[in-house]
Amino acid sequence: MSFFGFNTTLPRDRAPPGDQRGIFDAPDPFAEVARAQAAGLQADDDDVIDFEDTYDGLGDQLDEDQDEFNDDTFGGGGDTGGVGRDFDFFGKTAQVADVIGEEQIRYGLQKPQGSVIPPAAETAATLAAVEAAAAQKPKRSGYEKYEDPGYIPDLQAKSSVWSAHKKTEPSFQAPSLAKKMMSLEEVEAQMRQHPTAPPPGLSQPPVSLPQPMPDLSHFQQPLQPPLPEGFPHLPPEFVQAQLAKGIPPSQLLPPPPMVPEHFPMPGHAPNIPLHLLQNAHLPPQAMTPPQRQAMPPRAQRPYPQQQPQQQQQPQQQPQPPVIPQGPRAQANQMPMVTNPQQLMHLNEEQRIAYLMEDARRAKRNHKIFLLSKGNGLMTPQDKNFITRIQLQQLVAAAGNVADFDSEAVLSEDFYYQVYSQIRGAPRQHPHQPLGHFAQTYLLQTGNRLGGHGSRRHGNSADNHMQRMQQQVQRAVEAAKQKPKNKQLIIEGSLGKISFGNAKAPKPMLNIKRPDSSEGAKTTKKAHADLSLSDRKSILANIEGVYSALMELEDMERTMPPPPDENDPEAIQQHMEWRQKVRALNQKLWQKLKVMEPIVPNTNHPHPFIAFLSCPKGKKAIPRIFRQIDQEQRVTILTMIVVNLDTLDVVRRAQLMPGETQLSLAVREAIELFSQAVMPSLLGYVNEAPFNIIIGLLGLVIAQTHVEMVAKTRIGLGILTMLLSRAEIVKEAGQATERDWQQWVEKFNVLFDTLEPIFPDLFPHSINAGDDMYVWQFLAAVGIGASPEQQQRLVIAVKDRVMETVTYSKTLPADMASQRLGNVNLFMRAIGLDVELLG
Amino acid sequence: MLFFSFFKTLTNQTVTIELKNDIRIRGTLKSVDQYLNIKLDDVDVLDLDKYPHLSSVKNMFIRGSVVRYVVLPRSEVDVGLLEDATRREAANQAGKAR
Repeated sequence: MSFFGFNTTLPRDRAPPGDQRGIFDAPDPFAEVARAQAAGLQADDDDVIDFEDTYDGLGDQLDEDQDEFNDDTFGGGGDTGGVGRDFDFFGKTAQVADVIGEEQIRYGLQKPQGSVIPPAAETAATLAAVEAAAAQKPKRSGYEKYEDPGYIPDLQAKSSVWSAHKKTEPSFQAPSLAKKMMSLEEVEAQMRQHPTAPPPGLSQPPVSLPQPMPDLSHFQQPLQPPLPEGFPHLPPEFVQAQLAKGIPPSQLLPPPPMVPEHFPMPGHAPNIPLHLLQNAHLPPQAMTPPQRQAMPPRAQRPYPQQQPQQQQQPQQQPQPPVIPQGPRAQANQMPMVTNPQQLMHLNEEQRIAYLMEDARRAKRNHKIFLLSKGNGLMTPQDKNFITRIQLQQLVAAAGNVADFDSEAVLSEDFYYQVYSQIRGAPRQHPHQPLGHFAQTYLLQTGNRLGGHGSRRHGNSADNHMQRMQQQVQRAVEAAKQKPKNKQLIIEGSLGKISFGNAKAPKPMLNIKRPDSSEGAKTTKKAHADLSLSDRKSILANIEGVYSALMELEDMERTMPPPPDENDPEAIQQHMEWRQKVRALNQKLWQKLKVMEPIVPNTNHPHPFIAFLSCPKGKKAIPRIFRQIDQEQRVTILTMIVVNLDTLDVVRRAQLMPGETQLSLAVREAIELFSQAVMPSLLGYVNEAPFNIIIGLLGLVIAQTHVEMVAKTRIGLGILTMLLSRAEIVKEAGQATERDWQQWVEKFNVLFDTLEPIFPDLFPHSINAGDDMYVWQFLAAVGIGASPEQQQRLVIAVKDRVMETVTYSKTLPADMASQRLGNVNLFMRAIGLDVELLG
Repeated sequence: MLFFSFFKTLTNQTVTIELKNDIRIRGTLKSVDQYLNIKLDDVDVLDLDKYPHLSSVKNMFIRGSVVRYVVLPRSEVDVGLLEDATRREAANQAGKAR
């Protein structure tokens, strides 16, 4: 196998079994690269780009031998021998493609469709497919940037008119064209079409996805299309390697002495255009020098002997007579450039196509020549070094985000996370581990760099970028484990690089807080204690309650699973957790200040009542009730009942003489109270034992101005609550005779107190509308009342009943029935019905 | 990060953005970043007769620093949750400062 005395120590022995090189076939360095690359994917052995030389040692903390997962990543077992020229790199990669795909989808890192033949096409590989695969290669050469944008489409149009390839060329150029020419709008439109498209899985590898980032769109994933099996005579790596360099096929044509007839013609591939076959068998010397130089050292190293002679050729080829001329001019001069003997074997169309290729090649060469002046200014190692510094900065910055667990997410992104959970918004990456996060980010970077590099490096760039990516992944791992580092010292960098991120910006000033601020706090606190009920301290109290509440709710989240009796550790854990919850509960209870002594005859309401007078405080009640036990609930309820007439929704809800309506603020407060607080109270009362109900009613009668309380919606609501609960207990037969006696006593007192003002319970004007709560109360009273009391009740509210019935006749049907329904609630409670009134 | 977190929940909602140069733009909020740069789609400039040069603009990217107000759809804001998030943010800040 060692033609031209090549170094045979390289993985040459892994050459594919069916070696069918012709006599003109010099070993192809790129085939070697491709093969070494394939092999290198499985064994990290040929480390040409030596990270250890320049790497700052982050990786030293890592296990460098973590190659055992390479198979998982890249597929295939350790059977390196089995990796032939038809190694299905794509297929193997596709097995893990869904992982990659997921990441790519998440970040919308998508590429235009159709750039890669799906694996299914592999078996059905036709000749056209071979051509397509081969001809596709120039598209990823990276030369695109050198061309003026209109160049490729231009050429294509012409070739479709003249060329013999018109049936094949459009078919393979169209997809790649589409890939290149997608405007931002198109890409976005595509994204919008499948915004949450699931990972494509095996059948639709990530490479072929539309890519939203236009500047990356020219880059192709390091995956290679499957190499068709139907045509073994073109060693696929060979073709790819050469074509991937952007060498137009025609350029690879042999010098004049090479006559097509001398080529071993593959028998079963008669349709393939002649020049394509010739390309495939071309010695690498025919490559243009700039391209040769642009090859990375990795590619060159295997053939050290070759380099001198190759680099002697440089200036001849890039400046053929045709340099400055466009394709057209070139076409007119066809006899000058072409090999006449060969042209004779081509028909007219083929010749034209061939000449077109030639012209393109000449133009390209010229541009490459012009651009090659800067070549070699930086060695690949230099570039690697810089790239690595950049990547490390990135990783180190990401390292601060490394504690990307749900805790951190919740604390940083609380609103969004919870909101999305509540509203069922698309879960983007709530608990996605950093691994994925950073990986994706780095993948993106890798793509960009790879795309950039592929201009010069061809296949090897892909491999290189994969290595780089692996390296960075390890670095990410390391950064995760490292404590937060505020600055980065990279070997060779000038000084320390400190950085910030969005969460912790780089501090410009570092001011140490004086300890005296502690003292300031204590004085403030003392002040707060002095005046318990000024608005500011009330609000501060509420905030204290909320923070305790949030801590408790946080604890709920971290509740360990119910302990298994056989697992002492879990029991221990559970016990600790319970203890913490209890402590927090006590803290909350303390902050609520429910147990503050009631100071009679003061201007200041009780702290808890003050707490309830704020909308924020009212809103907190349902949440508090979830966190406290029954005893605490009854304490709160008792506190509310005792202070019922100082409660803002009762105190301020008294209509002054001359007023027909409460102020808006008060109405809002009442509304909020009945929505936020009442359901919680009701929820408790509905389960409360009878003696507590009796006690509460007693408190209302004894401690508050019942007449005043009863004239408000909230007061009446609480009374209704108690009365109806008592009735339910009685109906259920749960009340003992003695309890019931006690209840009736209290009830009678209440009834007697309220009897004179029954008509005044209603809001003033009959058309004010909402008097339902009064009817409810009256119904509750009516149920519990004795027949004699019921009679008195009817007499007291008779006028209102009649008024309402009359009034409802003037109302539209639905409103009327509603009003009558309210009245009926009461009427039925005492065994009557509005129907009876006619 | 509170505002970022908050605005993220408003993506794909219609918002009106008032810039510091008084231009008011209504559009669909497509995305927000940590600098509160805003990407708007289906843009509608209020007082278009004053800013005819914007009449053909369909979408735009607004630098966060030039935004004066963002008018939100009220139904899309969970006030209670936002209050809690604010408390958390304040607690975080206090924790950092110490």
